[in-house]
Amino acid sequence: MPAQIPRSLRGIVDRIALWSRINSPWLVHFNSGSCNGCDIEILATLAPRYDLERLGVKLWGSPRHADVLVCTGPVTRQSRDRLFRTYEQMPAPKFVVAVGSCGITGGAFHGCYNIVGDIGDIIPVDVYIPGCPPRPEAIIDGVVQLLTKLRASAVVQSPLRMEAKA
Amino acid sequence: MSTGSEMEAVPQLVTRLGRAQPAGDNRLSVELAVEHLPAAVEALTKARWGYLSAITGLDRTPGETEGADSGESAPPRRAQFEALYHFCRGATVLTLRVKASGENPTLPSITAVAPGAILQERELAEVFGMHITNLPARGRLLLSEDWPENLFPMRKKNTPEAIRARISEPPPAPLPASSPERPGRFVVPIGPQHPALKEPAHFELEVDGEIVKDVSLRLGYVHRGIEKAAESRSWIHNLYLMERICGICSHIHATAYALGVEQLAGITAPPRAQAIRVLFAEMERIHSHLLWLGVAAHQAGFDTLFMFTWRDRETIMNLLDEVSGNRVNYSVNVLGGVKYDIDDPRADAIRRGVDSLERRIHHYLDIVTADESFLRRTRGVGVFPTEKADVLGVVGPTARASGILRDVRVDAPYSAYRDFPVTPVTDQGCDLAARFVVRIKELFECCRLIRAILGSFPPGELRVDVPRRIPEGEVISRVEAPRGELFYYLRSAGGPMPDRVKVRTPSLANWAYVLSVAVGLKLADIPMVVVGIDPCFSCNDRMFSVHQVGRNAE
Repeated sequence: MPAQIPRSLRGIVDRIALWSRINSPWLVHFNSGSCNGCDIEILATLAPRYDLERLGVKLWGSPRHADVLVCTGPVTRQSRDRLFRTYEQMPAPKFVVAVGSCGITGGAFHGCYNIVGDIGDIIPVDVYIPGCPPRPEAIIDGVVQLLTKLRASAVVQSPLRMEAKA
Repeated sequence: MSTGSEMEAVPQLVTRLGRAQPAGDNRLSVELAVEHLPAAVEALTKARWGYLSAITGLDRTPGETEGADSGESAPPRRAQFEALYHFCRGATVLTLRVKASGENPTLPSITAVAPGAILQERELAEVFGMHITNLPARGRLLLSEDWPENLFPMRKKNTPEAIRARISEPPPAPLPASSPERPGRFVVPIGPQHPALKEPAHFELEVDGEIVKDVSLRLGYVHRGIEKAAESRSWIHNLYLMERICGICSHIHATAYALGVEQLAGITAPPRAQAIRVLFAEMERIHSHLLWLGVAAHQAGFDTLFMFTWRDRETIMNLLDEVSGNRVNYSVNVLGGVKYDIDDPRADAIRRGVDSLERRIHHYLDIVTADESFLRRTRGVGVFPTEKADVLGVVGPTARASGILRDVRVDAPYSAYRDFPVTPVTDQGCDLAARFVVRIKELFECCRLIRAILGSFPPGELRVDVPRRIPEGEVISRVEAPRGELFYYLRSAGGPMPDRVKVRTPSLANWAYVLSVAVGLKLADIPMVVVGIDPCFSCNDRMFSVHQVGRNAE
């Protein structure tokens, strides 16, 4: 929030920012080692039948414009740094949704030599959506839960969250 | 079958160089001395005998149990390796076997005579620690830059625990090394996270104005180490792991694996199970091709087509869901058969769905062949001449759009394709437009096959029992995935787990095409050219990555 906004107006500005964030979250998608199953279901969720865009959700290419990072897959050794950097490039406040069992525990790939962990090991995750892969309905539900959580918090997130676990 | 004559057609030179012996149905194995390998490969290439399909590395170092209990300190076991070069022609697979031993096993490169081999040779070098002489490549390939030197994950002595101990808690990986700067040139990096890429890969395109002068490609972002993991999981367990190599063509991976294991165990799935496998495979092909059509249209900036195809694709997703309970990873296969039966109401639902889809597919064929603005993005772009495609060993729709009839369903019919023959689709266009036409026409063939199977569904059991321990042996299982020939090599040592599972996915065979046509194109055409092979990085990276520098336009 810019410093020049008078203290008396900050509450209102925060409320407007939260309102717009809830009504139009932009997603950026990162695949850190997924089998594609979750990725095609995320795309299917945005396609006409499930049409997540009717909730104001838009999939966007650049992390610098995004509010929500949607991650799929376990984290491979080579994508670890990229995942972290994508997260860092997003402006605060930012949220992470991990889609699929692999993002939660490593799933079927748990124990493979090139897997360094799950999404939560690298960056803080707000919503986990289990399933191999989760159905589009589950993905929509995950997004709705994130938005509900946001609305309930009613407080604009502190930029301190930016410090990831590294 | 003309297999006998295929065998006879193997150039005399090859059989004279080494010890040839039949290795099962349609297979011939030739044991060669290391120094004879390039000559043998050259003889095969010169005679245009098939194409190099896969290279498999094997660690044949004697195990702990053999001669280790003599009480005295046994002499250190000498590491022994074997490299298998599989050439396919029609239904025949010719395997050249070469042995190498010691801590630094050495093999000659065959890239000079078979250019498609470079990717797989580098895989051998990186995961087995084979020293490949004259290999025109450098730098890290598959594993990350911070991977320890001299740690070769596929060697048997490197157990998953031993590997984890050596790589515990790495520092963040450094960036892929950029190509050296040259004055007057400009490098455009793309990826690994980029709007034009649905999956992670890193391209560095050196451009001169709009024209691409050089391409380098770094994959491996989705490399998980599945082949190693397969060696420490049971035969049944692996079925589910193989299904998760790729979420788009999951069924065909599981089918290739199940067919291989059944062949090793000497059993055959009942006819009804085979028909159901093929039915699902064709439904999967429809979903995969429609998915591809949508993504390709999106890359061309034609989002309306993207939305339409993805809407219509839901028809087939519904059917898959209805029959198996899952939209993706349907888990149809079990070893020895299938899980799900298809009853009459479901068969009717599938027929209705396929009928309505077919009407839509006619519409799509019209669009990609008649829409002028779309054709400007595809006609004459990414031309890949037949001759070149043949030499590089590309597979699937990419090969068929260059006029090469290469389709495992036709060449070596497996499962129920023997009873329900496929009419292959080829096109002489060799460009992107031809790839659209081939894939869309294949959709009609899928619909026809599905109707044919439902029309004469064999009755009977769904599965037979499979022993828990699979007898010793090795098999090759080839199937036609939506993207092309999928090659599985399975080896059993008689235990509860496989000794080696090698997967060569179609995307790997087709990367050679992207690297060879990208130079000289406009930058804006690159996403379309990449999408033209329908690349699947998760398939690909299970074992592989590429870095090719220094291919100038001249």
